[in-house]
Amino acid sequence: MCIPEMDVSINDFVINVATANGTGSQSSNLILLNSMFEMGVPVSGKNLFPSNISGLPTWYIIRASDQGYQAPGDKTDIQVLMNADTWFKDIEKVESGSVIIFNENVKLPVERDDCLVFGLPMTKLARGINPKMAKMIANMYYVGVIQHLIGIDQVALEKAVNRQFKGKKSAVEVNLRAIEEGRKMAEEGITWDSPHAVEARQKKEGTFLIDGNEAAALGSIYGGVNMLSWYPITPSSSLAEGIIHWLPQLRETEDGMSTCAVVQAEDELAAAGMVLGAGWAGGRGMTCTSGPGISLMSEFIGLAYFAEVPGVIWDVNRVGPSTGLPTRTQQGDLNLLREASHGDTEHIVLIPGTVEECFEFGWRAFDYAERFQTLVFGFSDLDLGMNNWVCSGFEYPDEPIDRGKVVRSAEQMAAIENYGRYRDVDGDGIPYRTLPGSGLDPILYRGTGHDEDGIYSEDPEVYQKLMMRLKRKLFNARKHLPSPVIREETQKDVGIIYMGSMENSIQEIDDIIEETGLKVSQCRVRAVPLHPDIEAFIERHNRVIVLEINRDGQLYGVLRKELPINLVPKISSVAYSDGMPPRARIYADLILEVLKEGAQ
Amino acid sequence: MSKVIKLNVIDRPKSDYTGGPSSLCPGCGHDQISGVIIQACWENGIEPSRIAKMSGIGCSSKTPAYFLGQSHGFNTVHGRMPSVTTGANMVNKDLVYLGVSGDGDSASIGIGQFIHAIRRNLNMVYIIENNGVYGLTKGQYSATVEKGSKKRKGAPNEQPPIDMCKLAINLGCGFVARSFSGAKKQLTSLMKAALSHNGMAVIDVISPCVTFANNDESYKSYGYVKTQSEELHGVDYIHHFQPMNEVDIPEGGFEDVELFDGSVLRLETLSTEYDYTDPTAAIAALHAAEVDKKHITGLLHHNTDMPTADEDQGLVDTPLCDLSEDMLRPSKERHEEIMARFRA
Ligand SMILES: Cc1ncc(C[n+]2csc(CCOP(=O)(O)OP(=O)(O)O)c2C)c(N)n1
Ligand code: SF4
Ligand SMILES: [Mg+2]
Repeated sequence: MCIPEMDVSINDFVINVATANGTGSQSSNLILLNSMFEMGVPVSGKNLFPSNISGLPTWYIIRASDQGYQAPGDKTDIQVLMNADTWFKDIEKVESGSVIIFNENVKLPVERDDCLVFGLPMTKLARGINPKMAKMIANMYYVGVIQHLIGIDQVALEKAVNRQFKGKKSAVEVNLRAIEEGRKMAEEGITWDSPHAVEARQKKEGTFLIDGNEAAALGSIYGGVNMLSWYPITPSSSLAEGIIHWLPQLRETEDGMSTCAVVQAEDELAAAGMVLGAGWAGGRGMTCTSGPGISLMSEFIGLAYFAEVPGVIWDVNRVGPSTGLPTRTQQGDLNLLREASHGDTEHIVLIPGTVEECFEFGWRAFDYAERFQTLVFGFSDLDLGMNNWVCSGFEYPDEPIDRGKVVRSAEQMAAIENYGRYRDVDGDGIPYRTLPGSGLDPILYRGTGHDEDGIYSEDPEVYQKLMMRLKRKLFNARKHLPSPVIREETQKDVGIIYMGSMENSIQEIDDIIEETGLKVSQCRVRAVPLHPDIEAFIERHNRVIVLEINRDGQLYGVLRKELPINLVPKISSVAYSDGMPPRARIYADLILEVLKEGAQ
Repeated sequence: MSKVIKLNVIDRPKSDYTGGPSSLCPGCGHDQISGVIIQACWENGIEPSRIAKMSGIGCSSKTPAYFLGQSHGFNTVHGRMPSVTTGANMVNKDLVYLGVSGDGDSASIGIGQFIHAIRRNLNMVYIIENNGVYGLTKGQYSATVEKGSKKRKGAPNEQPPIDMCKLAINLGCGFVARSFSGAKKQLTSLMKAALSHNGMAVIDVISPCVTFANNDESYKSYGYVKTQSEELHGVDYIHHFQPMNEVDIPEGGFEDVELFDGSVLRLETLSTEYDYTDPTAAIAALHAAEVDKKHITGLLHHNTDMPTADEDQGLVDTPLCDLSEDMLRPSKERHEEIMARFRA
């Protein structure tokens, strides 16, 4: 053996589990993740799964990092091999000195003298416990081996197993037995010292793990959603399913009657139509989808913009174009959302970067939609939406529900001078509206040209004026939308503007760049149209990089369009997308390259 | 000289149910249907503010501007009126949803939504103003045009039609009728009955396009329908608020269809018996008519034992759009409980 000498790294390593989809390895991986989390070790987990129900390769990456880094990491420290199909490729990728744990029953060799290798006949052992569920239980053996290797606390582990199997006694027992067997065999069989270990940290009070989709689902419920229409699509389905799961507990009366309808629509065209119908009738309608769904919804999105109908649409971004890589992540839909539909249109897009924000924007989206009488998008992605993140808890909404300018009584109507459905009586670009059933100033909503009273019109002046008011309405919305999160250095060398789930990699990227001596400030955009603070951030910095997970620099494009022209030369684009959650090193190197090209 | 203005059962004049002036071609069947909608809603005494008029895109879908000026409406996008109506119905189940559509709107671009609205039994009246052509885009054939029918210009149509009534019956729709825009009495009775139905009520109304397809070789022209259509029965609508002693008893055989709101649609037997409760009989009759190049009109099918889309949801009584914040947002206490559960 020729293994380089190494210190034990504490809470700083990456585990990569290679399995086939549908073998039940997700339970094992979540048990590992949760037990480390229980110990207070800062961890993150990422599921890289295929667009397939069973059989295709899947990887699960767990990163422990005392620095709090949540990106997948540049290399693997502990590789678990369970899948014959990717066996040799996975072995090849592993660096010298890494740990390899493998299932002997796959019957493939592991020829790496330069690594720390340990195998167990996991499937066979599992068959001894329960032949019917051997395929699933086999995965528990690597949990046991890893527990031994890195020193996972037994109490934390048991808690994680209990959580995973929702306290179901038989399942908990069987799986704990397999884990224990695996651990004991590792204790006896492993002759080398593990280069990696976990050390308990003070677990942050009140934290738990949750994915962004469930957080957004809960937020929507707190936002008073009245109608959810949806058409299944990865990675957004679990958002809808989250709402469906929580409704009976949070939105039903004592006698079991619901305050929110759920319609599984025939397609996304219909799902969008239902959102408009609900908004038009004075309810809070929403749908959730991914890129292909937004493409289909576009005609309705334009109608909502033009007829000024509130509604909420969540886009959990997956890799496009077309069907793309349906189970991988990207920030490729920003352009689509910002300007969806034909003609001059623009839309409010809320961009959460954390699970806490998924919750917050979940409820706020409805308030913005009704306040500005327009569609509001929640823009998440597969990484944020489907992976588990540490959450410090959701803050209860700090503002009452905002229903916007709805005239509900004749007295209210009488108090408005010169009412017209589309007349800007307050000068803020937002007109008043009345609801069907109220009998107050009924109009026929339409997607055709209309005057300030909602009457059909092709008059050039009427049309132009209407379009300018709509522009003003959204321009005014800017300052009410979530302001950017800014972490600023006193020395204003480089500013990085980014959005969404890049939040999970930004600190590591920042640290890598700062190793070169530059000072890096961060500005996370949380909504478009852009908040005025973003402009000020750019003004204060010498160079500004716009960093995002797509090919074309879509956020960069938005900035170029919305910024004063003199600021445009200050910004440069770094856009990269390969379907993976952003690995810090790749983006940091790209940024350094751009910075080297010098200021223009 | 003061004129006596006739009022309906809720003391409203008919003028409360009219709309703006029509911009359709003079003589267009769609305008006749608008007239019937006004008449039916007025006579049924429905509060105009309780009606929501919905439409897609087409000459037919423009008509909500020409009736029920005191009702809110939504002229949506091409073929997708059903989904908008679904969303509205979910948050306000107390409104009377009256949708108008065209044969292009419903049988082509919107056929999926038409089908799924029926499948859900959306509580609405769905009127198809069926002229066999796309009027608004200047007279292309639609999918409901019969094989052999010919519009004013161009070659005869060679493809078989989609019969929207057959389709609706096959899908289990609880109220399916066919009528003709020129058959004012029949259409008014059927329209009133549809308004009294709980659930999806489809009325396919043959409505000639005078500009593009009113020549005699067009099966949906005034001339053709007058000579080649057959009524399944006489129809007479009896309001639930109408004293029974004021209702004439027909001389021949008749059958009363009990409607959801207590009103009755009286079907008077004409030449042959027709069983409106049997969906297969309806399909057979439609099939035979198609072979004979004839239209049959009347109540094709009625069946009331399905819950509506909103009933299926188990919603609170109050329309969801009227709920106050305490019903919409879980309380702070509940929130703390949920957070504690996550943290456990
Ligand atoms: C998405 C879309 N495609 C095409 C059109 C053009 N278009 C407008 S109306 C119409 C057909 C209308 O036919 P029908 O529904 O039969 O109504 P009619 O005019 O005959 O009453 C078409 C194709 C459109 N408005 N939207
Ligand atoms: S084109 Fe035909 S359908 Fe359209 S308004 Fe004229 S007659 Fe009616
Ligand atoms: Mg037509």
